[in-house]
Amino acid sequence: MIHSNGLNKTHCLLLLTVLLILPDQAHALQSHSAPEGIYVHQLAHIFFISALCYLFWDIRRSSFPGKGWRFLQMFCVCMVLWNIVAFTGHSMEAVINASDIEVYSGYLSAKIAGPISPAKIVYYFTKFDHLFSVPALFFLYLCMRSLYRRSCEEEDR
Amino acid sequence: MTQLYLWPANLTDMVGSLLIIIFSFLSLRYAYLLTKNQPDNFLWGFLFYFCMTLAAFAISRAMGHLVKQVLLISGNREQWQALAPLAGGFNTLLMTSLAAVTIYYHKGIEGFKAIEKKAGSLKSTNRELQETAAQLHTMNMNLEEMVEDRTKELSASEKKFRNFFVNSKDMVYFCDASNQLVNMNASGLEMLGYSFEDPPSLNLLDMFLSEDDLDTYYEDILRMGFIEDREVDFVKADGSVIHILLAATAIFDEAGDFTGCEGIAKDLTRVKTMMAQLASSEKMASIGQMAAGVAHEINTPLGVILGYSQLLKDDFPEGTEEGESLQVIERQTKACRKIVADLLKFSRQAESRRENISLNEMLTDVLAVTEHSLNMDHINVYRNLSESLCSIVGDTEKLRQVFINFINNAHHAMEENEGGNLYVSTRNSDDKKFVIATIRDNGHGIPDEIKGSIFDPFFTTKPVGKGTGLGLSVSYGIVQEHEGTIEVESPIEEQEAGEKGPGTAFHVILPAVCEEGHSVTS
Ligand SMILES: Nc1ncnc2c1ncn2[C@@H]1O[C@H](COP(=O)(O)OP(=O)(O)OP(=O)(O)O)[C@@H](O)[C@H]1O
Ligand SMILES: [Mg+2]
Repeated sequence: MIHSNGLNKTHCLLLLTVLLILPDQAHALQSHSAPEGIYVHQLAHIFFISALCYLFWDIRRSSFPGKGWRFLQMFCVCMVLWNIVAFTGHSMEAVINASDIEVYSGYLSAKIAGPISPAKIVYYFTKFDHLFSVPALFFLYLCMRSLYRRSCEEEDR
Repeated sequence: MTQLYLWPANLTDMVGSLLIIIFSFLSLRYAYLLTKNQPDNFLWGFLFYFCMTLAAFAISRAMGHLVKQVLLISGNREQWQALAPLAGGFNTLLMTSLAAVTIYYHKGIEGFKAIEKKAGSLKSTNRELQETAAQLHTMNMNLEEMVEDRTKELSASEKKFRNFFVNSKDMVYFCDASNQLVNMNASGLEMLGYSFEDPPSLNLLDMFLSEDDLDTYYEDILRMGFIEDREVDFVKADGSVIHILLAATAIFDEAGDFTGCEGIAKDLTRVKTMMAQLASSEKMASIGQMAAGVAHEINTPLGVILGYSQLLKDDFPEGTEEGESLQVIERQTKACRKIVADLLKFSRQAESRRENISLNEMLTDVLAVTEHSLNMDHINVYRNLSESLCSIVGDTEKLRQVFINFINNAHHAMEENEGGNLYVSTRNSDDKKFVIATIRDNGHGIPDEIKGSIFDPFFTTKPVGKGTGLGLSVSYGIVQEHEGTIEVESPIEEQEAGEKGPGTAFHVILPAVCEEGHSVTS
C-alpha cells in the first residue's frame, strides 16, 4: 500500500513538473552559466551532510549491536566535519582573490600572500580537509572489517 | 608571519588522496565479502552500494586532486583548467549519489526491519511452538506413563476383586432394580445347583422360597440400604430347599436412585443340621443322665420284686394259676431289669476299658454266638473280613454289644421275610485312618421318615415287649465314646451281584491303629 502510494505521489510530481516545465521547454534549453557549478557542488555538500546526519541518527535509533556500527557513526561524524570544511573551503574561494596566491617560483613554492587576514587563515586550513576525510575513511574501513568479522563469527556459530 | 606556504596543504592533499583510495577500496572489499557471506542481509547490500559509491567518489576526487597536483607541479596549468570542471562535475555527481544512496537506505531498512520483525516474530512463534510441542511431548509421555500406571493399578485391583468374586466359597451376586440377577459367582450357582457354563437368567423371585421373605428383603434394602444376617430359604434348581444366611447392600447411582443390590449368601443347611444334631445329642445326654438316676432307683425295688416272686414260686408249684402268674411277674421283672441295665449302659455308667482289639476276631466271636439262631430263621451269614485290617483301641465288651445290637436288628428286619442274607464285612479306609465294619441285611429297610429318629432313645417300631428302642441309641453312645461314627444306608445303593431290593446297612467307622506291617488275621 505504502509502496503504491509513493508511486502515485511520484507520478503526480512528475506530471506536475512536466506541465510546469513544458512551456519553458518550448522556447529553449536552459543554459548553465558559470556560478551554477559551484552552487550545485555546495548544495551537494549540504545534501551529503543531511544524508550523513540522517544515517548517524538512524544508526543511533536502530541501536544495532556491535562495534562496527559505532565506527560507522564516527565515519558519519568525520564525514560531516569534512563536508563542513569542504563547504567552507569552497565558500572561501569566492572571498579569496587569485592575486592573493603567489606562484612566483613554481607551483611547489606557492604561498598565500600577506597581509594575513582571518579569511585567509580559514582558507589555508580548509586546504587540510584530508585531516577529516582520511580518518573518516579509516573508520569506515574499521567498520566494515569489524562487521565482516562479526558476521563470520555468527556464521561459525 | 606575512605569508603562508601552500606546500604542506598540497602534500597533505596528495597523501590524503592516496590513503582515501586505499581505505575506500579496503572498505569495499569487506563490504563485498559481507554480501557474499550473507546475501540475504539487506544492510550489507546497502553498505556494499554505499562503499562502492564512496570508492567511486574517492577515485574521482582523489584522482582529480592527484592529477591536479601533478599537472600543476609540472606546470601544465592550462590542461588542469580544462580538466577541472569535469573533475568537479564528477565529484558533485558522485557526492549527490552518495547522499542519495544513504537516503535510499531509509526505505530499505524499513522494509528490512519489517521482514526482520516478521522473521523474528516467526522465529519466536516457532520457538514458542517448539517449546509448547516439547511440553506437550513430555506431558504426553507422562500421560502415557500415568495411564499405564493407572491401568496397572486398576487391573490389579480388578483382578483382586474378581478373584474374590470368583473364588469366594460363598454366593456373591449382583442384581438390578427389578431384582433380576446380573451376575453370580460360580459358588453361588453351585449352591443353587445351576451349571456355571450355562448360567440361567434368574430373578430373586426364583431363588426365594417364600415371597414374603423377598418382600421384606426388598423393603428393608430400600429403607435401610442394607440387610444383615438375614436367614432365608432358597430354592435350588432341583426344587430342594437350602437354608441361607444373607447380607445385601443397595447400590445407588450418582443421582441417588436405586439401581440394584449386591449380596453375599452363606449356605447354612449343614450348620442347621449340625445344630439339630447337637440339640438331639444334648437331648440324648440329658435323657441318659435322667435315665441313669431312675435306673439306679428302680433297680433296687426290682430286685426285691424279683426276689419275692421267686420265693413265692417255691410255695406255688408250676401248673397252678398262682404259679403261672408268678412266672409272668418274674418274666416281666426280668424284662424291666434288662431295660434298666440297658439304660445304665446307655448312660455310660460302666467304666470302659481300653485295649487293642481285632475287629475281625470280635465279629467272628459275635457271629459264633448268634449264627445259630439266625440260621434257625433261614438267614444266611456271609463274611467278608479284610485280611490286613488294622486294629482298634476300645472296650471289647461294649463294642461286642454294639454289633450284637446291629445283628439283632437285622435279624428282626428279615424275620418276617422268612429268610434272608446277612453280610458282615470289614475293611480299612483308603487312607488307613479308619476301620469300617458293615452289617448289611436285605430286610424291610428303614423308611426315610424315621431315619432321623432311629438313634433316639426309646424309639422303636417293634411291638411292646419285643423292642425297647434303646439298642441303637446305646450303640450310638458306645461308638461315639470310641470316637467313631455310625452311618446308615437304606435302601442300599451299591447292590452286589444278584442282590436287589431294599435292605439296610450300618457302617461303623472307628479310628484305626495301623502300625506298619501290623495286620491282624482272622
Ligand atoms: N436292620 C434294620 N432294618 C430295618 N429297620 C431297623 C433296622 N435296625 C433298626 N431298625 C429300626 O430302628 C428302630 C430302632 O432300633 P433299636 O435297635 O434302637 O430298637 P429296637 O430294635 O426296636 O429295640 P431294642 O432295644 O430291643 O433293640 C427299630 O424299631 C427298627 O424300626
Ligand atoms: Mg434293636
